Amino acid sequence: MIEVNDIKKKFGRKQVLNGVSFTAEKGKITCIIGINGVGKTTIMNAIMNLTPLNGGQILMNGESIGKQSYEQITFIPDAIIMQPNMTIAESMQFMTDFYDSWNQERATELLDFFKLQESEKINNLSKGNRAKVNLLLGLALDVDYLLMDEPFSGIDIFSREQIAEVFTSHLVEDRGVIITTHEINDIEHLIDKAVLLDEGKVLTEFNSEEVRETEGKSVVDVMREVYQQ
Amino acid sequence: MNVMFNKRDPVYVQVIRYFKEQIATGMFESGQEIPSRRELANRLKINPNTAQRAYKEMEEAGLIYTERNLPSKITKDEAILKSVRQELIMEAVDDFVSSIRSINVPVDEVLDLVKETFENEDDK
Repeated sequence: MIEVNDIKKKFGRKQVLNGVSFTAEKGKITCIIGINGVGKTTIMNAIMNLTPLNGGQILMNGESIGKQSYEQITFIPDAIIMQPNMTIAESMQFMTDFYDSWNQERATELLDFFKLQESEKINNLSKGNRAKVNLLLGLALDVDYLLMDEPFSGIDIFSREQIAEVFTSHLVEDRGVIITTHEINDIEHLIDKAVLLDEGKVLTEFNSEEVRETEGKSVVDVMREVYQQ
Repeated sequence: MNVMFNKRDPVYVQVIRYFKEQIATGMFESGQEIPSRRELANRLKINPNTAQRAYKEMEEAGLIYTERNLPSKITKDEAILKSVRQELIMEAVDDFVSSIRSINVPVDEVLDLVKETFENEDDK
């Protein structure tokens, strides 16, 4: 389990995170929801130990995260960070060279699933396909937790559906997934847990199936209540 | 397999309902193999934990059964299969009655209309 405990982060005078707490479990999809600029990406960076915090702590399986968290967590940014003139094969090779946890078998399966050609240059790919390569490079690592920053944003509906399909497949297996999004509509049925964020704080954190069961509300219903108060 | 999920009922409840409909209409037959939990989640694009929950509930209700490592199957218990059909019919009737009651129509008039509509539907 990843436990985010009361983390605080300031950029200059701006308090981006003002005591954020939530948990994310293995085998579950946790979704951090918030309109842009509420610090979703900062939280991801904090979990990856990429940004020093001004307070609070993050635990993985009860222990403070440190350098070794890279071996157990992968961060998939919202846009691919490979050189655009590289081919898909070359960027996969790059991952093999840098990460011990690279799983070629899964990578090949993902290529096949997304119907991508290894010889294609990242430059020449559509936006949707570029997002798929980005996802592939992260998903092919054998780690316990996957963090994905806005995996559905700015791509066409068919790519979105395909990516949603990956979430439900054995390609994700029983790993823990944390995704950020500002658009929940498409993926309400996919997530286990929603964490609603605003102004550097968690407004509420709930299990989506439970809210449907006990209150007859959709995730969007809860969002409307919480954000429009 | 294509299910339109609504957003306010628990997804596992909607999955169970889908299975019941398939059983009632004979699309799922007694003893028929059903997809694995993972497959179901994948096909319906729902959370795998939700698919797991639906299967668990259906197993407890005796709608499906699993023998050790084999794929789960639809029950062979005729009484249960029959009761599923009965349950769906009664649910639909209850819904219908409660919505028609609010319009205050005599039952005979309604029944005539129901028959008429039914026959017209058949002609289509």
